Amino acid sequence: MIIAERKPIKRILQMIEPFERVAVIGCRGCVAICSAGGDREVETLAAALRLARKRQGRPLETVEDTFVRQCDPEYLAPLAELKEKVEAVVSLACGVGVNLAADLYPDLKIYPGVDTSFYGANPALGEWEEKCRGCGDCIIDFTGGLCPIARCAKNLLNGPCGGSQGGRCEIRPEVPCVWHQIYERLKARGELERLYQIFPTKNWIPAGHGGPRERKRPDLQINSQKK
Amino acid sequence: MSQLKLAILCCHYTNQATAQDVADIPAEVVIKSFPCSGRIEVADILKAFENDAQAVLVAGCEKGSCHNLSGSLRAEKRVEAARKILEEIGLEPERVQMAFVPRLDTGAFVEAAKRTFETLLEISAKGETSS
Repeated sequence: MIIAERKPIKRILQMIEPFERVAVIGCRGCVAICSAGGDREVETLAAALRLARKRQGRPLETVEDTFVRQCDPEYLAPLAELKEKVEAVVSLACGVGVNLAADLYPDLKIYPGVDTSFYGANPALGEWEEKCRGCGDCIIDFTGGLCPIARCAKNLLNGPCGGSQGGRCEIRPEVPCVWHQIYERLKARGELERLYQIFPTKNWIPAGHGGPRERKRPDLQINSQKK
Repeated sequence: MSQLKLAILCCHYTNQATAQDVADIPAEVVIKSFPCSGRIEVADILKAFENDAQAVLVAGCEKGSCHNLSGSLRAEKRVEAARKILEEIGLEPERVQMAFVPRLDTGAFVEAAKRTFETLLEISAKGETSS
């Protein structure tokens, strides 16, 4: 899922400083799962903003809602009506949601309430770890399912580096060296010979070198109204 | 100085004290009960401040005796989160206090309320000194 974290409240207060009526809109997708932008976080942020503004002597009215997702146009449709009722929107969706809303409703003053961080897993309650960088050319068939692009601090394709000590990363010793893990994993699976393969030069073009990436499925676009 | 206001958010099982039990505290004391202190959200604490409370006490069952096993531990985490938010917006985090009190022990509950009120008085005195 996409991992995000609430921005500092002072920063959000700066964004909405000119306004008196603001909507705080969450998303029930990834940001709800990583406890950054679901119903609970919407209610908390809205209360914090109102309290802060009350203390400043400039009361703030808030409208609170949480959409099913903010990365699909149909779920953003309520913004058409909402933008007539509020002066601005603070979105707790990831950057994808804020961008799409800004594309669809150019006259809507929409501001991000979270910092979008990475693609991660949720190994334990209250913990999220990066597992994928979305580089567009997945090589984890060679590496026992473990991604060296996302999980090696140096993004090495031929690790471990000389700084790896006792299976730990030299950049952050609390993090395991993923290349050490890759070696141990492949050895245990009897697939160590995969590391002897000269694998093709990694194609970095899908990682975003051609500007914003897009994917099209013409077979699904029969009724598409896009562009 | 206008009358101080203290909000107490507590578990229904922790407390059955009434306004009479906290009448000794020279402040407006509002008690709001929840089915479990684990149901008290950060937003509930912030809303108490929005409703003019100057301090909030969250009272849950003693650790290990929560009717729902971990309710008061969750409440403690929410108190920590609320304190961080208060700090972010320039309020003293000590304005939110957490108390673990024996179930249905009105005496311990009232004592926790008094300690919170004393903390509020200290915060108010500091504010007056610094202003």
